[in-house]
Amino acid sequence: MAKETWKNYKENKSFKPPPLKGIRVLEACTILLGPAGPAFLGAMGAEVIKCELPPRGDTVRQMAPFGHFFRDQAPAAVHINTNKYWLGLDLHKPEAQKIFCELAAKSDIVEDNMRPGTMEKWNIGYRQLKEINPGIIYIAKNGFGQWGQYAEENRPSNDGAAQALSGYAWMSSFPSRPPLKSRLYVCDTYGALMGELAVLAALHFRSRTGKGQFIELSQTENIMRTMSWIWPYQQITGKVARPTGNRDVSICPADTFRCADDAFVAIAAPAPAEFKGLCTAMGKPELAEDPRFKDHVTRLEEKNATAILKIIADWVRTRKPEEVEDLAENYGFAASRVYTSKDVVEDAHFRDRGFMTKIDDPFLGPYDEYEFPVMMSQSPPKVKWSVRAVGFDNEYVMKHFLDTSEDDIKKLYQCGALGKWADVQGCRPPPNWDGKAGVLMAKD
Amino acid sequence: MKKAARISKMKQQSWPDWIRERDDPRIAHTKPEALDDITVLDLSSKSFAGCLCSSLLAEFGAEVLRIEPPEGDFLRICTPYGMLYKGEGLNYLTEGRNKFHITLDLSKPQGREILQDLVAQVDVLIETYRPGTMDEWGIGYEQLKEINPGLIFASITGYGQFGPMSQSRMPDYDNIAQARSGIQSGTGEVMPEGKSYNECPWAVPTKAGPWIAWSVAGTFMAVGILAALYWRGITGEGQALDAASGEAYARLDDYAALWYYDTGIIGERFGNLDVCAFLYCFAPTKDGAVFLGGLRLEMWQAFADMVGKWDEWDAASWTSLSFFMQKDEQLKWSALIFGETRKYTNEELVRMSIEYAKKGRLAPITPVVAPVCSPEEAMKDANWLDRGIFIPTQDPVYGELIAAQAQHKMTESPIRTKWVCRPVGYDNEHIYPKYLGWGPSKLKELKQKGII
Repeated sequence: MAKETWKNYKENKSFKPPPLKGIRVLEACTILLGPAGPAFLGAMGAEVIKCELPPRGDTVRQMAPFGHFFRDQAPAAVHINTNKYWLGLDLHKPEAQKIFCELAAKSDIVEDNMRPGTMEKWNIGYRQLKEINPGIIYIAKNGFGQWGQYAEENRPSNDGAAQALSGYAWMSSFPSRPPLKSRLYVCDTYGALMGELAVLAALHFRSRTGKGQFIELSQTENIMRTMSWIWPYQQITGKVARPTGNRDVSICPADTFRCADDAFVAIAAPAPAEFKGLCTAMGKPELAEDPRFKDHVTRLEEKNATAILKIIADWVRTRKPEEVEDLAENYGFAASRVYTSKDVVEDAHFRDRGFMTKIDDPFLGPYDEYEFPVMMSQSPPKVKWSVRAVGFDNEYVMKHFLDTSEDDIKKLYQCGALGKWADVQGCRPPPNWDGKAGVLMAKD
Repeated sequence: MKKAARISKMKQQSWPDWIRERDDPRIAHTKPEALDDITVLDLSSKSFAGCLCSSLLAEFGAEVLRIEPPEGDFLRICTPYGMLYKGEGLNYLTEGRNKFHITLDLSKPQGREILQDLVAQVDVLIETYRPGTMDEWGIGYEQLKEINPGLIFASITGYGQFGPMSQSRMPDYDNIAQARSGIQSGTGEVMPEGKSYNECPWAVPTKAGPWIAWSVAGTFMAVGILAALYWRGITGEGQALDAASGEAYARLDDYAALWYYDTGIIGERFGNLDVCAFLYCFAPTKDGAVFLGGLRLEMWQAFADMVGKWDEWDAASWTSLSFFMQKDEQLKWSALIFGETRKYTNEELVRMSIEYAKKGRLAPITPVVAPVCSPEEAMKDANWLDRGIFIPTQDPVYGELIAAQAQHKMTESPIRTKWVCRPVGYDNEHIYPKYLGWGPSKLKELKQKGII
């Protein structure tokens, strides 16, 4: 039974090995689209070495909500950089490029999110690295891919650019209102996730054939892939797809409604038993037999959908969200309050599952974090630590992975190939750091 | 080839030409497939997350047996405005891709026996029934692993397989998961001062239009499945996997939880500005809007310079971006920025940014400028057409159809879309003989009994 399978899952997580144990990833990425991918692999147990340009490091280190830093670290940087080793490496320098090549020779996966051609200019592009390590799986993620007009114009990109160019923002607003940007960096983080799918498929292919390969991912193309019906709809009807606010045009009823206390609740009840349950909960069981609403395809038609959603909206308007949730539970349709970040952090169910979890990080101190969302009964993924100051693990990486002598490390600092943090918020250790907490020893 | 010769050849061919020659989706069909040694049973029901998950594996060449009840999956009639094309809803039409469609009634004991015969021959099973359903049917993970210890048993549901909400009767839908994630509450237009919800019904927590929570859940599970396959390759062990749609989508959220943890602040809607980034907004223009991005100080300075405000705004004196991220500063500066962007068209601003990268004071640094497009403009954009994302599939049943594809491009084992969808039970006569050795009379008998 499922109960047996998942008994004490959260408690026993640390006593089981993660699924990607033994895989090594070398990262030359900044902001979100790049770093999020290796972090997913890191949570699944891969060993990730993140290279940053010293002394300021990754640009994400300055992404702080309304300028707020958490123990001198940017909150965006903390969440996006799970389980990595931090190497301050100036890849403009030949000595640093050599280190990168030595690490690549011992890695399975290399990830960058530079504009096309940048890594090659630094002598560490795919064509150069595959000479050193023919089995290497190399993924480059960015806005426009490696070829085509926009890539060749060398256009920069961000998550928001992908939301704009793909039509995603257009489809996520209310009718006759301007297109709306999601506060979620969805094209970055979802792009990163899709990139790792390709990486793991390539790993499977390599285990069968011994062959490595190059993968490219455009964050705009990836978000287009998820916009399912929109493309065939436009092709078949010759019309542009229209935004419809919170109403789901493919599922009826499915919308977000305003409650008595001006809170919001989402409801969905499309399947026959669910719709009947909702109508009964509303005290109007006859609606389930109404010819306008009886079957799902008819109910989805514009005028019918508008009619049923109006009836539900009027009903919800005088109720509290908890009341609607309870009725949904009893009558077998779906409802959820629109959760705030507070609700997510404090949700008892998320806590019980270990999805919302407390990390006790020696460097950062304790904080709340989301766990990797695929629970695996035999090889559980696990978030263990996060951001470190720029160059924090230099000695560990150089000794543990490359067996470099103290003298040589010193020389690398002198020529600027290796470097550590600037004394700037976001780059340096927390204010109360004792100079030791979190430091890894070479023989660890 | 000698190393020197190789290097000189490399120099002859530019990187974009070299890589396009190897990863253009138009040549994907000439290459091997990464997962064509893997067999998957997709039992998902009423779930786009499940369907997308198996599509992602099928794009890589996995043999996916899509099992539906004899009347077809409800997802087939989840379609915009009730529109059907050749009898299929448009969402299902794009995610039936590369899958063999068979029917099997799992509510009947004989149907479940047949399922067990199939389970013995596959690597992965994907299901989306309410937790406990598969157990009650005698085909839960603990039962099936007796038949196939290497099985990877993947469940995607609204609230997961364990925890207090797991026994909820509530089904899993995308808009519910979006509401549960904490992301919808922070997205949307800000209520104009002195206005109410009655006057501005659009200034509310706003979900994304596409089925993004379901897509993210399906993709996370596909990633989990490949990691579990890797693990099985080392240990020989199968396992059960559990993902919940709301959790999967919430996991993509960024700073919000930590910000709340540290300060007690609940992120509120900030319209088309960004709480955690500057320069980062949609800005109105003469003929629409553009996205402006500049997450490095120099890019923000380059924007000021590009619109001729270097001196007036004293851009040379700026030292840190985090100053501009404060709420009041964002509001103040966005008003100034929008005053400038309204003077130009989208196209003019895009060109200004490209030109600035060549000749500007801070070149090659330049701000990100991208037009806010309708999906119609996106689908006609020559750049995307060239990159192959909208290559129509020539489907034997549904004809020429555009379902977005080639979201990543690979040199050795790329994805491809071979067909977009299949009618209910289309492959019964092919798959059941192949896996279970049934002849025509057995097929007929089970069809008459309503098992398939």
